[in-house]
Amino acid sequence: MASVNIQNVQKRFGAVRVIHGIDIDIQDGEFVALVGPSGCGKSTLLRMIAGLEELSDGEIRIGTREVSNLPARDRDIAMVFQNYALYPHMTVKDNMGFALKLKKAGAEETRAKVDRAASILGLESLLERYPRQLSGGQRQRVAMGRALVRDPQVFLFDEPLSNLDAKLRVQMRGEIKALHQRIGTTTIYVTHDQVEAMTMADKIVVLHDGVIEQIGAPLELYDRPANLFVAGFIGSPAMNFIRGRVEEGVFRTGNGLTLPLPQSANPATLGGRELICGVRPEHIRAVATGGIEGRVELVEGTGSEIYAKLTCKSDEIACLFRERLAVRFGDTIRIAIDPSTVHLFDIETGKRI
Amino acid sequence: MKRKTLDRIGLFFVALVMISPVVLFFLWMISLSLKYEIDNGAYPPILIPERFAWSNYVRVFEENNFFLYFWNSVLVTGAATILALLIGVPAGYGIARLKAEKSAVVIMIARMTPGLSFLIPLFLLFQWLNLLGTLWPQIIIHLVVTVPIVVWIMIGYFETTPKELEEAASIDGASSWQVFRLVALPIAKPGIVVSFILAVIFSWNNFVFGIVLASRETRTLPVAVYNMLSFEQVSWGPLAAAALIVTLPVLLLTMFAQKQIVAGLTAGAVKGG
Repeated sequence: MASVNIQNVQKRFGAVRVIHGIDIDIQDGEFVALVGPSGCGKSTLLRMIAGLEELSDGEIRIGTREVSNLPARDRDIAMVFQNYALYPHMTVKDNMGFALKLKKAGAEETRAKVDRAASILGLESLLERYPRQLSGGQRQRVAMGRALVRDPQVFLFDEPLSNLDAKLRVQMRGEIKALHQRIGTTTIYVTHDQVEAMTMADKIVVLHDGVIEQIGAPLELYDRPANLFVAGFIGSPAMNFIRGRVEEGVFRTGNGLTLPLPQSANPATLGGRELICGVRPEHIRAVATGGIEGRVELVEGTGSEIYAKLTCKSDEIACLFRERLAVRFGDTIRIAIDPSTVHLFDIETGKRI
Repeated sequence: MKRKTLDRIGLFFVALVMISPVVLFFLWMISLSLKYEIDNGAYPPILIPERFAWSNYVRVFEENNFFLYFWNSVLVTGAATILALLIGVPAGYGIARLKAEKSAVVIMIARMTPGLSFLIPLFLLFQWLNLLGTLWPQIIIHLVVTVPIVVWIMIGYFETTPKELEEAASIDGASSWQVFRLVALPIAKPGIVVSFILAVIFSWNNFVFGIVLASRETRTLPVAVYNMLSFEQVSWGPLAAAALIVTLPVLLLTMFAQKQIVAGLTAGAVKGG
């Protein structure tokens, strides 16, 4: 186990800069998720940590060792690939023992380590099979087993769950998390799925266009997003963004809709400027009287919750209700927003105020 | 149902027409090899003779030092194929991984150049090196045929091997050489089989290089068959028998391996297929 230290790491492909000077500090034993939309550079960054991609500039340390110029095989890391990358011509046992074979470990030691990893992952009965004889979830486990056998300084995961179906994904998510809690190896996990990042990570790094938008604990990102991008990316369904101005102690849109201001906001300093008000759909409650009136444009019920899109004075607001409301398309309902859950963003810089 | 049967018959007929030149040519060769000279010259031609002339086959082996030529062919083809695999498989891997398409084109140009254009200078070179009485000139020049086949088929195979497999191996601690030997090579085994088979076929059938470079002792089979023409007169029976014997190994190889050959020739055509 080791900490990972990334300093001013840059990556250029020819004249195109895909990563612009990134700094991340990862503590020993931490589970860090790199998250962002496709093309944000998260996989490239992971590949640079793995040694599969060269750095254009900057420095990566694993523990106290500078590894920026070391080949992948000398970095003492293990990686789980999106397509698992199991060796098709080897059995599960040989796949898992491959790294030990390269290290010229004894047969006895190799068997013990492979057996241990197999029992952790429930692969005992599959050891003699070939990858083509396994299901997606089993392959995923073998890929993790191969990493586990190595007992590396750092685990790297590159979107490991994106080839699985929804149910299996939730299950494997839990297993990876449990595995990390049990073994405690420093883990860097790349995903485009913010739910995975939120549920698994100790720390999330949100990347966008090769720049870090925010680093923080999952709830910190949820409660205090640094900017519009993070606010929109973290949380599902996405946060409502409504344009308007602060007037007479309230937030008022061009259509005349008024929303409460956060308690921390000082109406005196914000007055007059055009801003964006952010409200998460799940922070909107349905009320019998008072509040804001809205017409229901869309209703989607999942049983546990109801997602509804309202039009309030021509502004569209998405809501997520936990209670079972009898709402239908075309109904008019009233909603209330708790001022403590409202965010204001500067329209020019995108930063939260 | 009826329509389907008709379709099948039509398809069968079209296939028959298309392959008939090849089939007829083989049938005629078999017929020739089993007839006495008198029947071979008969008019109208006889396809199935009354008496089979098995002696034609016996004569092939008795008269022409046939076993020596067969052994020469085995040595030339075997050596040219094995050397081609030793050179071509790593070369194909390198070209596929480094995306060095230009080198692949250069190799292709070497293959496309007419053999006669470099045969004469090479003949002089081999003479100067005192190699002409041996099989080496033929082995070396057959590489011109076998290496490009191996290289091009292997490029197709290695390009379809997922890059992640090799990356996983290098993370697992493998050196570049180990990645090639332990991961890339075993996965490309079907490609190696196909390129082996095709290299054998092309080398075995090669005639031009042998006719120029072979001496009486170092003839390969196609050259030996050709030389039978010049004995006093053309005796069609033994000639056809010899030609069939020469063709037989390649014919059998092609029949057994046709599935793999087709797969190998189309590898890389469909990425990830």
